[in-house]
Amino acid sequence: MSLLDVRGLNKSYQTDAKVLKDIHFTAETGEFLSIIGPSGAGKSTLLRCLNRLVEADDGEVIFDGQDLRQLKKKQLREARTNIGMVFQHYNLVPRLTVIENVLHGRFGYKSTFQGVLARFSEEEKERAFYLLEKLGIEAHAYKRCDQLSGGQQQRVGICRALIQDPKLILCDEPIASLDPHSSKIIMDYLKSISEEMGITCIVNLHQVEVAQSYSDRIIGLNDGSIVFDGSNLQLDQIYLKRVYGMSTRELITV
Amino acid sequence: MDSVYVKRNKAGRINIKAGNKVNSVINTTVISLTLLTVIAFLLFDYTGLDIGRAVVETASNLKTMFLQPAFSHFTWREGLYQLGVTISLAVLATILGAIIAFFLALWSAVNLSNRWVSKAIKIFVAFIRAVPTVLWVLIFAIAAGLGSEAAILGMLFHSVAYLVKAFSEAFEEVDKGMLEALKSTGAGWWQTVTHAVIPSTSTYLLSWTFLRFEINFSVAVAMGAAAGAGGIGFELFMASGFYFDLREVGFITYAILLVAIVLEMMSTKLKQRYFPSAVK
Ligand SMILES: Nc1ncnc2c1ncn2[C@@H]1O[C@H](COP(=O)(O)OP(=O)(O)O)[C@@H](O)[C@H]1O
Ligand SMILES: [Mg+2]
Repeated sequence: MSLLDVRGLNKSYQTDAKVLKDIHFTAETGEFLSIIGPSGAGKSTLLRCLNRLVEADDGEVIFDGQDLRQLKKKQLREARTNIGMVFQHYNLVPRLTVIENVLHGRFGYKSTFQGVLARFSEEEKERAFYLLEKLGIEAHAYKRCDQLSGGQQQRVGICRALIQDPKLILCDEPIASLDPHSSKIIMDYLKSISEEMGITCIVNLHQVEVAQSYSDRIIGLNDGSIVFDGSNLQLDQIYLKRVYGMSTRELITV
Repeated sequence: MDSVYVKRNKAGRINIKAGNKVNSVINTTVISLTLLTVIAFLLFDYTGLDIGRAVVETASNLKTMFLQPAFSHFTWREGLYQLGVTISLAVLATILGAIIAFFLALWSAVNLSNRWVSKAIKIFVAFIRAVPTVLWVLIFAIAAGLGSEAAILGMLFHSVAYLVKAFSEAFEEVDKGMLEALKSTGAGWWQTVTHAVIPSTSTYLLSWTFLRFEINFSVAVAMGAAAGAGGIGFELFMASGFYFDLREVGFITYAILLVAIVLEMMSTKLKQRYFPSAVK
């Protein structure tokens, strides 16, 4: 059975215009899956429907054997601990230190009381330092996050997701605000997370070339519908035209 | 060629302000207020008023008040003590107000609360703010009698309303993505509030509280005089309305002024540091 099985997801915001139309796809354990599509296609919305930061209108999101859309508040919190999320704008608490931000990833495992008082065990703190070291930013552990570069902040964001011990990591345009060099570092880390730790990564990207060089599988989204689902070898000019409504050659020069 | 989106005024020049209506309403208001002021001065009853004498006497009163300040009905120690009483009234109302306002503001910030709860609190608080502090003090005086209790309650009430608005606006400014990130980890509401919302807004909360303290100090002086809340305000009331001791009035005014200037300097510093856009 797949780790994630999405069936018939539909979503519209206040207006009648449908943002997601009957989305079906699956993701396997350890798979690196990219979602590409033009801006406004519904990539962010799709990702947020998976962990219910946005509520879909109907459909099923079967993750690890249970339908997330049926869960009550408390069960949902529990399920979310298994799904990490990485954001375009990192979404750290800028006034807190790196290590504090990483430990935020443990809140889902704690009671309100333990969480409010920031009671973290020594193992949790050691694990946080281990992850910071793995991503090469342990030297900044006690710096405030707003003193870090974008690439470093994104690595903190990844540590925060990893310390959750997730089975799945959702990345919403993780490199859209980064320079090419930092982008490569981040993508390499995400790739190694899926390969070495067996964590499934679903990554929203708008750079086709990046998606093609990293992904096991690519999903092309256009106007809320999946118009391509296959390996990067199958993603040829004809499909790209269906995803973006024009050829990549034009796309790159825009 | 003109596109349909370009707006022009009567002279055919292109507008750069979106709404013309707002501007014309403001202009009409200003002009009618000016006219009303002029007419009012023309209609005053000036009989029995010798302008020359009035000016001279006022000047001489002011001279006694401010150039020869002295105190005769209380000692240095008593004076300081009364000043302390006024400051304590302000401190008490401010701190209690800030604590209550903190919780209400959490529930009235749209990004942290239910839409209807938020609306309800905001409307309630707007209503409290619309009524001046003095009136609240008088309303509480019905139950508690005129005195420091009624004054504190009234000041507290108004402080809460003022701070709820300020705090909840600070909370609503909190980065949406940050809240989303915490939510996605499975963090609960209280955890998000204590580890994301408070660290991001604490300096604003403290600054607003201090700004309110500054207001509460002057209100406490007024309440001492008007509502019998004691403190330096009451001494001022006695000196002016009871003993007609202009020198003492001058002295007390200087004492209040001194405290007010110190507070003002501190709050200007705070504003420059945390609300640079608010300082002109
Ligand atoms: N919170 C929201 N409220 C209303 N409409 C939204 C909201 N978020 C996104 N949309 C709309 O949904 C569509 C898809 O947006 P999004 O999922 O952000 O696309 P993408 O991430 O692919 O750029 C867009 O047309 C956008 O305007
Ligand atoms: Mg997006």
